Amino acid sequence: MGAQDLNFLSLASLLVFLIPIIYFNTRLKLVINKTLITSIIRMCVQLGFVGVYLEFLFKLNSPLLNSVYLLIMISIACQSIIRSCNLKFKLFFVPLFFSLLIPFVVILFFFNAVVVRIDNLFEAKYLIPIGGMLLGNSLRSIIIGLSNFYAGIQKDEKVYLYSVSLFNNRMQALKPYFLQSFSAAIAPIIASMATIGLVSLPGMMTGQILGGSIPAVAIKYQIAIMFSIFYIEYFSTMLAVIFSLKVGFNELDVLNQDIFVANE
Amino acid sequence: MNNIPEPVNNHAPKSQTMIKFESVCLSLQGKEILTNFDLTILKNEKVLIQGKSGIGKTTLFKLLLGFGTIDKGKVIFNGCKISKAHITGIREQIFYLSQDIDLRDGIINNLINEILKANSISYKNDKLNELLTFLDLNIGILEQNVKDLSGGERQRVGLLICFLLDRPVWLFDEPTSALDDVMKKKIVDFILDQEKTIIIISHDSVWKKNRNIKIERWE
Repeated sequence: MGAQDLNFLSLASLLVFLIPIIYFNTRLKLVINKTLITSIIRMCVQLGFVGVYLEFLFKLNSPLLNSVYLLIMISIACQSIIRSCNLKFKLFFVPLFFSLLIPFVVILFFFNAVVVRIDNLFEAKYLIPIGGMLLGNSLRSIIIGLSNFYAGIQKDEKVYLYSVSLFNNRMQALKPYFLQSFSAAIAPIIASMATIGLVSLPGMMTGQILGGSIPAVAIKYQIAIMFSIFYIEYFSTMLAVIFSLKVGFNELDVLNQDIFVANE
Repeated sequence: MNNIPEPVNNHAPKSQTMIKFESVCLSLQGKEILTNFDLTILKNEKVLIQGKSGIGKTTLFKLLLGFGTIDKGKVIFNGCKISKAHITGIREQIFYLSQDIDLRDGIINNLINEILKANSISYKNDKLNELLTFLDLNIGILEQNVKDLSGGERQRVGLLICFLLDRPVWLFDEPTSALDDVMKKKIVDFILDQEKTIIIISHDSVWKKNRNIKIERWE
């Protein structure tokens, strides 16, 4: 049993609700119509492509190809995080790539090997959608963590440097900025775990139920996914800050001002 | 003062050079701050630097602590160049009291304990009480948040940390600006009486009244 297929016409029927939205935006002089339409077109085109190449990946089910696909996903996630944090791509890409890759690989393979217990750990059907879901969810926390950390020190540079002189230890001086940004980064997932099921029914569960799974199975998967998302957010945010220190600060512990992309 | 941390070369004679700026050039945002600047400060010497704002007095302190880099020349501290290899050992010997006493926020007692622990320094409560009395600070101030302190209290808490850390070199940027005259005199006499290398940036005339101090006037 699977979800009923949607034909293109019925999918397109959802555009009907865009008409009043565009009308209201125009009347209210809310200048978002162009961005809105661009985003909708991008969403449809990107998902259309995903549909095509996922079918291709599922059909081939090649461990090498699946792994390359995951690495590309991580690279795109890094690019998106760095852009959102207003940091320089060429400086932060490598540290960020490894801070995502390490927890991602450990948790993803643990999920597949120990939790789901599939024989082929590179099975496209599990590796790609679950990998994508874990990665997509961890973006938010790394963005919050990394941007709060560097923006906090930049704003508070005199206090940070004074702490370096008093503590004579960079890690001690960095500690309050790390704690503040790290708690802000993981607060949303902790809040989300506390309200899941009451306020929201998560996408994975909905998808599984529509795909024919019984709610009990869908819920078990959802719990496993929530654990995994939390672990990846926790470790990747922590590693993102730690791995980026080498590029973020000069050898005398002073914040490198050229890590930030200048605001236009 | 007890437990004075020894400088790198503890067998050096008293006239040894502690701080040396040699032909230092520095520009910031296109503005020349220091041009072929030379300055030598001997061990245990007390130097008062005076001059108008914006001519690079505070920059000297920042360079010594490794918070800025020079374009040309040399900055030597106790025989060591300011560099990655020596910076921890150098900062370990310098106490810097910044103009705004940029302490991070938190309960003062916790902050002091964290700073002393990070520097592997233990102290007896008697010493703390003695210093609090000397600085005319109530013991209750230790339970306050840094952000709730007045300017004068902030300066005295900064000095309290300085005396507890007891590092051999003190860099003071306007350390008495928010103190009353009686307290100013008491603190200036106490500071200049210490066996320390001390550089003071101050517009306060009270420093000049002491004979132990060498005055560097910058135009």
